[in-house]
Amino acid sequence: MSFQRYILRRILFVIPVVFGITFFAFFIANAVPADPVTANLPQSALNNPEIVETFRRRWGLDRPPVERYLTYVSNLVQGDLGTSIKTRRPVIDDIRRFLPATMELATFSIVVGISLGVGLGVVSALYRNTVVDYAARVFSLVGVSFPVFLLALIALSIFYVQLGWTSGLGRLDIVLQTRQPPAVTGWYTIDSLLRGDLRTFQSAVSHLILPSLVLGSYVSGIIARITRSSLLEVLGQDYIRTARSKGLRERFVIRRHAMRNAMIPIVTVIGLSYGSLLSGAVLTESIFAWPGIGRYMYQASTSQDFPAIMGVSILIALIFVGVNFVVDILYYFLDPRIRLT
Amino acid sequence: MTASIPTGLAAPHNRFKLPTSIRRLIRNPLAMVGLFIVLTFIFVGLFAEQISPHDYDLSNLSMARKGPSATHLLGNDEIGRDMLSRLFHGARISLTLSIISVGIGLVTGVLMGVAAGYFGGVVDLIIMGIIDIMLAFPSILLAIVFVAFLGSSLQNAMIAIGVLSIPVYTRLVRSSTLSIKEELFVEAARALGASHLTIVLRHILPNVFAPIIVQSTLQMAVAIQAAAALGFLGLGAPPDVPEWGNMLQKGRNFIFSAPHIVLYPGLATMLVVFGFSLLGDGLRDALDPRLNR
Repeated sequence: MSFQRYILRRILFVIPVVFGITFFAFFIANAVPADPVTANLPQSALNNPEIVETFRRRWGLDRPPVERYLTYVSNLVQGDLGTSIKTRRPVIDDIRRFLPATMELATFSIVVGISLGVGLGVVSALYRNTVVDYAARVFSLVGVSFPVFLLALIALSIFYVQLGWTSGLGRLDIVLQTRQPPAVTGWYTIDSLLRGDLRTFQSAVSHLILPSLVLGSYVSGIIARITRSSLLEVLGQDYIRTARSKGLRERFVIRRHAMRNAMIPIVTVIGLSYGSLLSGAVLTESIFAWPGIGRYMYQASTSQDFPAIMGVSILIALIFVGVNFVVDILYYFLDPRIRLT
Repeated sequence: MTASIPTGLAAPHNRFKLPTSIRRLIRNPLAMVGLFIVLTFIFVGLFAEQISPHDYDLSNLSMARKGPSATHLLGNDEIGRDMLSRLFHGARISLTLSIISVGIGLVTGVLMGVAAGYFGGVVDLIIMGIIDIMLAFPSILLAIVFVAFLGSSLQNAMIAIGVLSIPVYTRLVRSSTLSIKEELFVEAARALGASHLTIVLRHILPNVFAPIIVQSTLQMAVAIQAAAALGFLGLGAPPDVPEWGNMLQKGRNFIFSAPHIVLYPGLATMLVVFGFSLLGDGLRDALDPRLNR
């Protein structure tokens, strides 16, 4: 199949997924007793039938679900995700505002996760069934088992509060809030550099350290486990024995012969982890007051802010499809025998 | 005429060889550590009432936030309740919650997986479409959305966490069903007039038993972690219930003055998740020799 046809197929695949998600979200929202009216209006307003009625009419809650769904879909086709009940801003604007923060954090975290995880996994496989292997495996398993919110709280209290080595909550120091770099990419690190504002850059990096270490250490556990098992499988292959018997240096055998062939499952897991980080790390974002998609989704869920939930759901589906797409392309480069189908 | 299937055809792949698997499991030190942790957790959960040194709900404000002492081995919480007794009762809640939610996921997932794999066609397409959409969401986010709509309670947390594990089982059982239904012994059974139900119950399900046990052990870890996360976000049990995530949430304000309130429930969660993961890995190695490295 040609590359163009492959891409076209991938793009077409997005359409049923997006409609599936909107349909499901709508179905769930209408099947449960939750009422956005009680979640969004104060008690005093709830006692006033007129206010309740206006609220219902304003958000289309007085119309039958089928009609609401069709309206939503026809707006969606025109690129309109609706307005958030909670923030009163268009959902698309909210996503534009919060997504870059999540992307920046996810990218820093995945870099930490890959560096730690692949390193640990390789060491574990090379020293298989030795003390080093056991230590690395226990370490990575502890990383996965440790509740991420506890790790976040401990990291925050030690490195920020007690030692003062890093910055704490949010994306920038409070004094710098007014110096937010003009949004080009929405990543404070890049935008501040583009403006040549080193002080803001420093603050942005300092705020990224703790949350990305916390998320990265969690992800590294998953990556280390898959790296170990994948590398072990490859190390048992005949061509590795051949390479060694040719007298190649061990380092070369591992790097060029073993790792290259072990990369496919590792890349898959990295892709999945990155996708899930991009969809918003709810707990970490909440604890670090990180204004990202995860926190937005959490707030939208607890206030039954339906347009926001739908918007973020669609976004997550797109991220998922996009990440899978990139992973597929990487497969192709890692192993040219793989044909894109 | 009694239909007897020739033995060579009737014997499904017996991947679940108990004695050899158990021997292999026992030889794995990490799995044994996991088993010990899991058994301790189950014991504590079952006998929380009997082994708790104090009433878990009895507050004593004069003891509020006191650290470990001879009478209160793990100290007292923010309103002076005994931490150890609360942790024991928390184990009971985690145990119940994880078993029920894994049960929900297991039963639904197995039914969906068998249906998709066995019948194929449109059934497969619809079921796997649903599963793919569910998999597109990070599980904790999906749980939050579910609980937010169903209302926060322990029961709804169980349902949400159960629903999360459906895709894992569906995919697992579907892929096994797909390969098993092509086997000669299934064809023989069908030729002998066995019904779909008989084939599924007698031939297909026994063959997916081993991977299901492994997955369920690992899924227990996921459920306990998810429950703690929901509790921490205030979307699980009511505030007074000694659920570990709840306790962490309550204690986070005292992380400096009384770190033990946060640390113990956190460490308990970690330890149990760690135990189930070690045991699950060990079981996988023991039950599926092809993966045993």
